[in-house]
Amino acid sequence: MMIEALIAVALIGALVTFVAPNRVAGKLAFAISLVPAAISLWLFATFDGSGNALLEGTLAFESQYEWIQLGEYSISWFVGLDGISLPLVVLTTVLTSLAIMSSWTPIDERESQFYGLVLFIEANLIGVFVALDFFLWFIFWEAVLIPMYLLIGVWGGPRRKYAAIKFFVYTNVASLLMFGAFIALVFGLGDAVTSFALPEVADAMVNGEGIQQTLFGLEPTTLASLVFVAMFIGFAVKVPVVPFHTWLPDAHVEAPTPASVLLAGVLLKMGTYALLRFNFTMFPEQVETYAIPIAAIAVISVIYGAMLALAQTDLKRIVAYSSVSSMGYVILGLIAYTQFGVGGATFQMVSHGLISGLMFMAVGVIYNATHTRLVTDMSGMADRMPVAVGILIAGAFGYMGLPLMSGFAAEYFIFFGAFGADFDYAPIFTGLAMFGIVLVAGYLLFALQRAVFGPYSLETDYEVSRAPLHDLAPMFVLLGLIIALGVAPDLIFDMITDAVDPILEGGDS
Amino acid sequence: MIGVEYYVLLSMAVFCIGLVGVLTRRNALTFLMSVELMLNAANINLIAFAFYHGNLTGQVFALFTMALAAAEVAVGLGIILVLYRNFRDVDVTVPTTMRW
Amino acid sequence: MEGAFSYAPAIAAFPLVAFVVALVFGKWMPKKGAIAGIAATGASLVFSLWMLAAVASGETYHETLYEWTAGEAASEIGADTIGFSFGILIDPLAALMLVIVSLVAFLVHVFSLGYMNAEGETGLPRYYAGLGLFTFSMLSFVYADNLLMAFMFFELVGLCSFLLIGFWFRTRSAPSAAKKAFLVTRFGDYFFLLGVVAIAATFGTLQFAGDESFVAAAEAAIDDGGQLFGFDAETWVTITGLLVLGGVIGKSAQFPLHTWLPDAMEGPTTVSALIHAATMVAAGVYLVARMFGYYALSPTTLAIIAFIGGFTALFAATMGVVKDDVKQVLAYSTISQYGYMMLGLGVGGYVAGVFHLMNHAFFKALLFLGAGAVIVLMHHEQNMWKMGGLKDKAPVTYYTFLAGALALAGIIPFSGFWSKDEILYDALIVGLEEPLIMAAYAMGLLAVFFTGFYTFRMVFLTFHGEPRSEAAEDPHPVGWSIKLPLIVLGILAVVAGIANLAPVAKLANVDITFLEHWLDGEYGGIDEVTYSAYSELLAYETGVISSEQVTVLIAAGLSLLLAFSGAGLAWKLYSDPEPTAHKERLGSAGTVVEDNYYQDEYQVWLAEGVTLPLARVADRFDQTVIDGTVNGVSTASLFGSSWVKRIQTGIVTNYAALLIAGFIALLLGLGVYGGWF
Repeated sequence: MMIEALIAVALIGALVTFVAPNRVAGKLAFAISLVPAAISLWLFATFDGSGNALLEGTLAFESQYEWIQLGEYSISWFVGLDGISLPLVVLTTVLTSLAIMSSWTPIDERESQFYGLVLFIEANLIGVFVALDFFLWFIFWEAVLIPMYLLIGVWGGPRRKYAAIKFFVYTNVASLLMFGAFIALVFGLGDAVTSFALPEVADAMVNGEGIQQTLFGLEPTTLASLVFVAMFIGFAVKVPVVPFHTWLPDAHVEAPTPASVLLAGVLLKMGTYALLRFNFTMFPEQVETYAIPIAAIAVISVIYGAMLALAQTDLKRIVAYSSVSSMGYVILGLIAYTQFGVGGATFQMVSHGLISGLMFMAVGVIYNATHTRLVTDMSGMADRMPVAVGILIAGAFGYMGLPLMSGFAAEYFIFFGAFGADFDYAPIFTGLAMFGIVLVAGYLLFALQRAVFGPYSLETDYEVSRAPLHDLAPMFVLLGLIIALGVAPDLIFDMITDAVDPILEGGDS
Repeated sequence: MIGVEYYVLLSMAVFCIGLVGVLTRRNALTFLMSVELMLNAANINLIAFAFYHGNLTGQVFALFTMALAAAEVAVGLGIILVLYRNFRDVDVTVPTTMRW
Repeated sequence: MEGAFSYAPAIAAFPLVAFVVALVFGKWMPKKGAIAGIAATGASLVFSLWMLAAVASGETYHETLYEWTAGEAASEIGADTIGFSFGILIDPLAALMLVIVSLVAFLVHVFSLGYMNAEGETGLPRYYAGLGLFTFSMLSFVYADNLLMAFMFFELVGLCSFLLIGFWFRTRSAPSAAKKAFLVTRFGDYFFLLGVVAIAATFGTLQFAGDESFVAAAEAAIDDGGQLFGFDAETWVTITGLLVLGGVIGKSAQFPLHTWLPDAMEGPTTVSALIHAATMVAAGVYLVARMFGYYALSPTTLAIIAFIGGFTALFAATMGVVKDDVKQVLAYSTISQYGYMMLGLGVGGYVAGVFHLMNHAFFKALLFLGAGAVIVLMHHEQNMWKMGGLKDKAPVTYYTFLAGALALAGIIPFSGFWSKDEILYDALIVGLEEPLIMAAYAMGLLAVFFTGFYTFRMVFLTFHGEPRSEAAEDPHPVGWSIKLPLIVLGILAVVAGIANLAPVAKLANVDITFLEHWLDGEYGGIDEVTYSAYSELLAYETGVISSEQVTVLIAAGLSLLLAFSGAGLAWKLYSDPEPTAHKERLGSAGTVVEDNYYQDEYQVWLAEGVTLPLARVADRFDQTVIDGTVNGVSTASLFGSSWVKRIQTGIVTNYAALLIAGFIALLLGLGVYGGWF
């Protein structure tokens, strides 16, 4: 019942915050958000699951209730946690609390609605990571879009409407593709499944006969490939993977800081999480077949994303494109299909969530003071905001994969896992993708050199003062977590690999 | 005993008259009356077949339809009144602003 | 001495604590964190000496302390599980290097009291925190027992150099230099990381020493003659060795990744001393020494190392000849000297390379700190043409600097002579059999002349002649915290050569090659990582000219002759009271050398002339083609709907007509397909 409590607290908290007066909404929402954070940390401490949730693993905090009978298929409220989803749930709750605190300064209108929506999005994000029934999962998956659409569209920058609609429509069309593909998969499995429960579908795909039915005149093998590709594209938009990435920079640039934090920190991980749960768990054969094109896409995402980041002058755009680059590593790790590859990809989801959250917060704090994000407009910010800039530099080095920070652990696991992967030319793909670590240093250091070093100057007419403590505190917490995971990756890597192993063994756990 | 086909023909004729009225007349009141004609054409069918099959379901439905028609007239007349108040006319082709 | 090693982690931990203390509390502390740094590095030095004593008494230490992570991974050969861990390996090499690093770090901290605190710098807590982190990273790197841990601290060393080179971040040039230093070394580290990953994926272990080491695994694989990743085992070892070498070339500023180092002079001089003598730049060469067994397996790699080293030694030395800034001269001399070390290691002269690493640490720290003292004397003027005549006004600085200069130039009997001569001798005997190495030797030998020239040009311009500016006439006095480190290092620069008097040993046939015995584990050592173990792996043939003694004399005589003639030329040209530049005599060659052979230009061009425009093109492509497609889809659907929506006339009659038409169409359709007609 703890998972239900987690979601319920966030949902009820959202409602309460909606009707609370504006002036207390921020503090109230922060206080409320501490409850899910505390619960999720308690879940983390008492986690007793093992194996993979979809492949006969022992679920932690499982609960299942019959909900709807739809023809031959039953739909149930089915939630539970394994070593892959738990770290992401903790990431979500912690990041939400910190994002709320970081929005005390920049958000100064319609506060109660803003914080209500943030809590609402938290509830749905948790739902995405805990749901084990496709129908339930899809409800949460889609419900995430609405509050994010509003957060961007109402509190965003000058082109907020364009960005919000682009974000919503783009990801929603992708969801349609994925939804259709999954339904085709369920029908293709025929009598082998009687519900939309993901473990049942995964079991039928991996341990059972797989797709046996002929659907729309498509042979079972063709159907399986089509479903795989359609789902991959559907999730790739969310990740985002080149060439489906163009909504991301627009959304990030227009979104208010806390929305960017959640967008980069957690929303992108929905895509990679779903890829891992659906494509890479249910279709081991297709993963092998499509290894080389997917690895190529991963390499292109890394290099191309980094090149795009190099050409930007808006700090937020730089971080946004670098997210595209970092997510490319996740894809590379997944396609490696080795313990370190897939485990490292999952680790990178958490790590990138923390690091990109930190970067967006730091950029946001500087923006609060300067009202510009263009590196060409400012110089020598380190002179006026030493602590905030110090954290920005630390975050930038985290992004570059500095050892003893979580980014290095994640990237190293992925590179190591991918180098020894089974598909052809794996070392070459790895070597190419690794060049991203040079490019990332290039664009981040170039931006830092221009914006925060050098003699102080600012193009906008604002008095720059030091950031208040409540802007800095969340960043210190994130920095602490990043270093902790970098020094001791086994805090979560153990449970991740425990959940990843059954995937690689083809479900014979 | 008159065969059921004659009732069908009658109802078809009434329906078509109503239909032509709906498609051609611009006065809202005539429009409304044409709709009533079409409803009544359906009623004729219902009663004829109820009689033909020897059960009462059709007749009951005809009663429902009449009640529905009465309600519809009440709402329809209300709309026409509002129409007149806003446009000083009861021409159904004039108000086109609510389309997009 | 049994329990000594359980305190080994403290050697690195002390500076880490100093880093935290200086960063957090430095603002409120007297001397702004300097005390913490001095105490910590002093403690590290004491503990390092203790380790040295323990190794001398026959003990060594190789222990995994902390499992970073572990997991399953199918390697080409070896186990299917792999553990990544932090561990400590203290053998003669590591113990020696620990002492060097902590000694130089300690002296640099002391010197900083006079150089930074007394000069009223701001941001000192940041400075001392940076020094602390730097020392911590380097010490951890030195006694790392596996390649991944080494890589991690190697990278942290890079971070610290970024922070410290960019210490004066309010200027334009310092942040630019810091960025360049990190970026260029990052480029090298890219290859290094690829090498780490490749070695881990091949052998399933990253240990430097022991039965489980990748060196042993590689040796076994070559003996087996199997295939690794589709290559011959030896080819693969060469490839991975060269990948790791990428990191070495970046950090040790070897050609072509040496360009960051002269720019790095933007940092405080104390930082330069630390970077050049004991930490960052030394890290690269130390890594080659650390995994020398792996390189010894591949003659190709060794030859490449030797050639790069020899070339860099000459290349950098020629650039040092025309520089006006005292720190720039020292910067190019550093590149050149590390070239010698690479040459020494590349020809199999493991002892010679490490010997020169040690001597260089002392005399280069001395020279940089001496230059720092000169800069204080000169009220922060670094141009040598504005100096002159400091000899009499600052005798301590002069004589210690002179000792360092003599060592650098390789004048007998100062320390630099012994190690450089040993390197050149090793190169010569291998070169007699291998033409490529002979070429490397020739370049190294020629560089001796240039070294002698630029060193004494620097000495003459700085200290001799008449004062050429007001500052030089009335120098700022320096305190004990500046003089003390100079004296300590000055003594070491003079006497450190005693450690390995190889030519004397060969000529007089006496056993005084202490360092060789030390590195051979004769006092205490780990079997696979000793000089003699490496020698067995080496595939080099050596030759002699008539006899060993004659060869020794020829090698030493040649290098001394060239060093003296270089110094003599400098004396002839620049010992006037009012020296002239003589640059016009070099003609167009002088311009090329002054512009550093356009190395900077082409690298900046690669970054700003190729990569940046390419990024802009990618951005344009992204905005127009990819995002254009996305927006095109939405525009097309909006445009389509603007036509379709015209069906909605708003006239209720039309809707009714459409309804009917649709109904009839449906009926007709059903009729046609349903077979009613």
